Amino acid sequence: MHELSMAQGIINAVIDTAEANNATEVNEVTIELGRLAMVNPEQLKFILGVLVENTIVEDAEIIFDEIPVEVKCANCGFHGDAILDDKDHYAPMVKCPECDSLAVEILNGRDIVVKNIVIEKPDDN
Amino acid sequence: MHMIADVEIEKNIMDANKKLADKNLKNLEDNGIFCVDFVGAIGSGKTTLIEEIIDNTDYKIGVLAGDVISKFDAERIKSHNVPVEGLNTGKECHLDAHLVGHGLHDLPLEDLDVVIIENVGNLICPVDFELGSHMRIVVVSVTEGDDTVEKHPIIFQTSDVIVINKIDLAEAVGADVDKMVADAKKLNPNVKVITSNLKDGDGLDEIIQAIEEKKNN
Repeated sequence: MHELSMAQGIINAVIDTAEANNATEVNEVTIELGRLAMVNPEQLKFILGVLVENTIVEDAEIIFDEIPVEVKCANCGFHGDAILDDKDHYAPMVKCPECDSLAVEILNGRDIVVKNIVIEKPDDN
Repeated sequence: MHMIADVEIEKNIMDANKKLADKNLKNLEDNGIFCVDFVGAIGSGKTTLIEEIIDNTDYKIGVLAGDVISKFDAERIKSHNVPVEGLNTGKECHLDAHLVGHGLHDLPLEDLDVVIIENVGNLICPVDFELGSHMRIVVVSVTEGDDTVEKHPIIFQTSDVIVINKIDLAEAVGADVDKMVADAKKLNPNVKVITSNLKDGDGLDEIIQAIEEKKNN
């Protein structure tokens, strides 16, 4: 249940921030999901749905933004976004877009970041 | 009256684990210890390999043996007279840096020069959780099927050494060892791929040499 510990971390971050901002409800949660994080967005969404029951996040829309995979190629020195060959794989093979080499160092694209939330709160005035 | 507000969070869910992994690495280095993390499927031969390394090197080794609920691996390794801590993950499918931190706390680090971590049998989830080791070795056996390497690219792409084990059984299970080696090299051209039959000790010297090279690097 790999997704469960991730989802718990996400919900804790959302609820802590919502409460610190006097939110009465959370309308939207945006999560950046690295293309190489070994997490299935559908499963993550399902678990999040279970964890938010009876919280102020219960009716929020969950939005996933994909983070591309940034690499440095050991073969030709290219630095930038990789080509993802996901023809046969959900979790893709990572290639250099310049020379097609698989000898790449993965610099970014494995993280899961809770980006922002849209909340409802009492008007300050 | 209510208002709608957009609130930035920018919280990386993986950060907590990464920070603890960095702390583990520092703890190991402060004690002059080199740490190897073994990953691989259930039954790939991780525990046997660890036992062979203990018996065939002069390193002062301590082991953290990860398992879902049992202590069998820890008990097996303990019989080789090295300090062992069993780490149970419960329902979780991987070790994380937090559990490893606790395990390191319970090992006599001042008396060790190598710590071996045996992850939970799984080729998928451990990828996301750095533990603070210097080196990752993935063990895959031919009995898992000769398409196992290409089916799990990321763990093979992010490991330092790939051990293809139980090659003596390849014919019996109809597995093509050459294909597994080629898949591994294709995924990770710079990686060391070692074929082994640990029952007879084939490949063990090469594995130990790979650890020695990385340790001295």
